[in-house]
Amino acid sequence: MAESLSREIKRALTGWFYPVHYNLERWAYALQRISGIAVTAYFLAHIVETGNVVGGLSVWSVPSQDFASAIWSATFHFLENPFFDTGLIVIGFMLSYHTINGIRLTLAEFGLLQGKPSRPDFPYEPKSFSKAQRAIFWLSVLFAAATAVYALNVFFGFRI
Amino acid sequence: MLLHYATGLGIVVAGGVHLFTVFLTGPYVQNLAFSSVMMVYRNILLAVTLELLLVFVDYHALNGVRIILIEFHQGTTWERGVSWVLAVAGVLLLIYGTRTILIANALA
Repeated sequence: MAESLSREIKRALTGWFYPVHYNLERWAYALQRISGIAVTAYFLAHIVETGNVVGGLSVWSVPSQDFASAIWSATFHFLENPFFDTGLIVIGFMLSYHTINGIRLTLAEFGLLQGKPSRPDFPYEPKSFSKAQRAIFWLSVLFAAATAVYALNVFFGFRI
Repeated sequence: MLLHYATGLGIVVAGGVHLFTVFLTGPYVQNLAFSSVMMVYRNILLAVTLELLLVFVDYHALNGVRIILIEFHQGTTWERGVSWVLAVAGVLLLIYGTRTILIANALA
């Protein structure tokens, strides 16, 4: 290993998650990665959480309705508080951003909405990050913000 | 990587149906009551959609983590190790999630 682990971690964290002084495409990349990790963490918790709808980890055959219902109610009441609701609002933002920006990345992967190659001139804006792609990026931020507002209304009913 | 994009698009569709059933078919708290949740699992089309969503997200999320980890450090041993650990984790998650869907469908 050429690099020590601590140096590798530092390089990764600043390289991935600190897009200051870089262009907008780098911000899109950092946010895509952060939102991906956040939604993955939510997915793991969600699989465990929804597992409780049939009674939890130890249940591997069909349980009684009463047993499953009691476990699920307890789970739902445990999760129904401002802490987890706020978490869901953040996840909603992340998920919406990741979805629309992911569609932009999918289009780019298949060569759609790419700028035409041309001579690099000042101010050296990347041709790959075309106007249409910028528009989709801002659309993803807008959609994410709208989702967060919608989630705020669902969980708190604007009663903060 | 093609699978990463394909599952991503699959999630947009299956995840859309999932969010629709939870948020847009009535009040949120009511939709997550035990009897309402059971109605979702009883509906074979919705249960199949949930299973598809599980498969898509399972692959997409863990492959995403794999991409991050093999970008973090390069090396054959590391890449193989990461891939195997995440593949096993993915299969375990898939088994647990599928168990929930199958038992909930039988219970409902």
